[in-house]
Amino acid sequence: MYRIRFHGRGGQGMKTASRILGTAFFLEGYEVQDAPRYGAERRGAPIFAYVRADNQLINERGVITRPDLVIVADDSLVPVPAAGVLTGVDEHTVLLINSDESTETWKHRLNLSCRVFTLPAEAEERAELRFIGATCTGAAARLLGKISRDALQQAIKQELSELGDAVIEKNLARALDAFDCMQEHEGCIQTGTEANATDYSKPAWIDFPFEDARVSAPDIHASANSVEVRTGLWRTLRPVIDYERCNKCWWVCSTFCPDGAIKVSGQTPEIDYNHCKGCMVCVAQCPPHAIEAVAEQLARQQDAEEEVSP
Amino acid sequence: MAEQPVSIYRSMKDLPSTHLLGTGTPMCAGCGGLEALNQLYDIIGDKSVFVNAAGCMTLLSVYPFTPFRGSWLYTAMASAPAGAQGVRDALDILIQKQRMNIDEDMQVVVLTGDGSAYGMGLSATSGAIERNLDFLYICYDNEGYGNTGQQFSAATPHGAKTATSTGSRGYPGFKKDLFAIWAAHNPAYVATVAGAEPVDLARKIEKAMSMKGPRMLIALSPCPTGWDYDPQETVTVGKLAVKTGIWPLKEYVDGRVIHTKIPRERKPVEEYLKLQGRYKHLFEPVRNDELIAEIQNKVDDYWGRVGK
Amino acid sequence: MTRKLLTGNGAAALGARLAATDYIPAFPITPQTEIIETISGWIDQGEMDARMVTMESEHSMVTAAAAAAASGIRVFSATSSQGLLYGMEMLYTVSGWRAPFVLVNVSRGLASPITLEPDHNDIMSARDSGFLQIHCSTCQEVLDSTLMAFRLAEDERIRLPVIVNMDGFYLSFTREPVEVPDPKTAQNFVGDYDPENIRFRASSPVSQAVAVLGGVPYSYFRYETHLAAQNGLDVYDELSREFANQFGREYSAIEAYRCDDADIVFVMLGSFATKARAAVDQLRKAGNKVGLLRPRLLRPFPAEMFRMLLAGKSGVAVIDQNISMGMGGVLHSELAGALYGHPHAPPQLLSFIGGLGGRDISLEEFFEIADVTRNAVAQKHTPPPRLLYTEQELRQMRKLQAVASVERDELNNSGGAKNG
Repeated sequence: MYRIRFHGRGGQGMKTASRILGTAFFLEGYEVQDAPRYGAERRGAPIFAYVRADNQLINERGVITRPDLVIVADDSLVPVPAAGVLTGVDEHTVLLINSDESTETWKHRLNLSCRVFTLPAEAEERAELRFIGATCTGAAARLLGKISRDALQQAIKQELSELGDAVIEKNLARALDAFDCMQEHEGCIQTGTEANATDYSKPAWIDFPFEDARVSAPDIHASANSVEVRTGLWRTLRPVIDYERCNKCWWVCSTFCPDGAIKVSGQTPEIDYNHCKGCMVCVAQCPPHAIEAVAEQLARQQDAEEEVSP
Repeated sequence: MAEQPVSIYRSMKDLPSTHLLGTGTPMCAGCGGLEALNQLYDIIGDKSVFVNAAGCMTLLSVYPFTPFRGSWLYTAMASAPAGAQGVRDALDILIQKQRMNIDEDMQVVVLTGDGSAYGMGLSATSGAIERNLDFLYICYDNEGYGNTGQQFSAATPHGAKTATSTGSRGYPGFKKDLFAIWAAHNPAYVATVAGAEPVDLARKIEKAMSMKGPRMLIALSPCPTGWDYDPQETVTVGKLAVKTGIWPLKEYVDGRVIHTKIPRERKPVEEYLKLQGRYKHLFEPVRNDELIAEIQNKVDDYWGRVGK
Repeated sequence: MTRKLLTGNGAAALGARLAATDYIPAFPITPQTEIIETISGWIDQGEMDARMVTMESEHSMVTAAAAAAASGIRVFSATSSQGLLYGMEMLYTVSGWRAPFVLVNVSRGLASPITLEPDHNDIMSARDSGFLQIHCSTCQEVLDSTLMAFRLAEDERIRLPVIVNMDGFYLSFTREPVEVPDPKTAQNFVGDYDPENIRFRASSPVSQAVAVLGGVPYSYFRYETHLAAQNGLDVYDELSREFANQFGREYSAIEAYRCDDADIVFVMLGSFATKARAAVDQLRKAGNKVGLLRPRLLRPFPAEMFRMLLAGKSGVAVIDQNISMGMGGVLHSELAGALYGHPHAPPQLLSFIGGLGGRDISLEEFFEIADVTRNAVAQKHTPPPRLLYTEQELRQMRKLQAVASVERDELNNSGGAKNG
């Protein structure tokens, strides 16, 4: 059985990507499961979807814990533990990362013995993000080696039929490009070993302890501790204040920020990048246009460079 | 009649500069409801118990994190006002029986989306107003069942596309007039607000906080996910809702309805509609002049009726 | 202590009053209404220092009750049948809040068809809600159980809401002599409610009943609630001994009547069980070794006690005043679950369904149940479940059907042209 996991952010089309791959397998005669996994998080937050494909009935269900292929549509998620990109990844797993950085950089950075492939990251415009899924799926199909170009095309047409011909054409073009560029690695994905019933690691079950309601009620005895949740990781665009142009009026960006992530100290607004989700309301509303939207990836690279040469 | 107290919020400069609600919530980037809640919470303060109904904001507090500096209780979709009744009565009893110091008292606030406020929770709401419950009700109105993927609700405007009104004419029904339903109960206060109009919002929550009894603020909550627009347009969309006259800012107090921000020259509704994917079918593939005119006429009728 | 005639409803109301209840969210429904009318009267006359609020539904009533309990006061409420079901979403919800309060349910059959008379399908639907359940068979027991229920609910090892159940009409509207404890002794027994850290105060903010994501926290909270409910067995045991010491009335988790040397045992819940008691006496007179077990606690389920009390018996007849459509009697299934595989379990466990919608169960029927059970033991063969319903009753039903079908018959005879 093939076990494939897609990681991306809400709004990047991971569900659609998993469905395209699922349909493509199905068209090739496979038994298939595809499903998205939802949490409380919304657009921009890390989410994942998964596909299983086998030539016999699939009994396994739920989240894939030992993936054969992990597809990462947004490379900024890789180092985020909460995103769980690397969960269950071992030597047999193949990582396919949508990233401008090289395979070697990733291998080095992750210190993993598994194989890593990268796809060049896409244009930064948000409108383009919706094609990431198709691109990844095209590459994945070729790596798997069980899906023909035809089946891939047909699956994309089926799954995107409601979006109109223009969108389908764009997705097709990207998916097929990615499919073609993985030619030399065709069929490199190996299925993992199944758990076996004679030699397995025993679950360490406990005799569940009773704890009284002071502890065991679903209550939070804390005040505004949600600040520990770093929603800044959702961001693909970063608002950057040009303090020379800033009117020091502080009230506009700070008042309108849906997340309350712009604080004013003295007369100066400061954006809390740990929590800014990157909606860009401040960019749109700032009267003197003193806030600029910068691609998060670019901004991070600049941060890193500044750290090196202060 | 007593003279109206002067608001401390004359311009945006008077608004609070530090925010009380914690960051790090799982609401969508650009959430208009969260924007309004942030502004409201700054003025309500942490001496409050929020009683929440099922909706997007159920997920504000997900174990073990809460953005609230004060307290919160999650109930169910239909009965948040009844939860407020229980909390308010308990606090009153504790004070009356001298088992709790009056300093420990809190403002009891119901927080629900439009699904609960306009529909499932109406019976509990009506009962709470009838009983003259001393509570504040905040409805974040994003005009559909947003948390489940924006199906139409009783708050969905005519013609909007939702996950359950995907035809070429969008939602065939009309947005329920919750303001009028509340006003018909003769409560202490009802107002419409928008996060895009923070001074108006601040004055209203300030006024509501100075009163006792049932008080309602219906906050138009532009929803990038459900209304299908770029998140950065949240404030623009909210402002246009006011400037086109689609979302009249008004309040009901002492039996009278007062419009608090009357657009001097109403912009055509089209400017508001065309920003949002949920109205795309009015413009593409062919322009639906008839439906646009119908929406415009409704707005014009409203303002004609109220004499503005 | 005084002795006076009280209805079951009156006894429940008095229990709430003696327990120094602070708050009563209410909603009228037959046959419970007398409870809230009685309390309302006391409050209006200044005899009870509590606040009552009439909500607009049971859904809201349960919400308000739990929200007030979660704010740290003592709360009582009451409902019945359709009302219990209307509030059902909140029963399941608020038990997870771990907010203790007492709810009296006056059992009444469920629609459809709608009826006013009692059976236990209403309370059985709350079986898995997380509320503990005490079932009463006399008006005295209603009063005493209400006092005990507050202790049970508020105990730090439990902290769950508790339902005290009584049968509509047979207890709710029936007067019986009831020993009324003096208020001081009662209040001493119940004590003060300490909400500990589950309460709302400005100085100690808390977010209660928050959402979780994923099965790990969910399983934890749900199973803790289960363990808390299970603690109810030991706590109840302690409590009933303390109650017996103070008031001289003993209420064990299962009332065992003439069971010690019995071969055949009836198992029944609620007030109809006193009919079974009378039948046991008659059967004993006739030389039959028959006894009765009447569980007072249904949640937590006293499984171990059942196993002990039924060990070595030859036959058990469970008379269920409820029916799980497509399965049968609920108590029968529960008991089968408790007994299965245990070495001394009785070989025969029979199911009888009776008393639906207040349908009477005659002494003769109990005699016959004993006889059928004895035969099953002798023949080592369990007969299928039996609805207690006679030929004569079916004839009576046929007459009603004939009346109900007259118009249809007329239509048929006139070729459907009645209005033509």
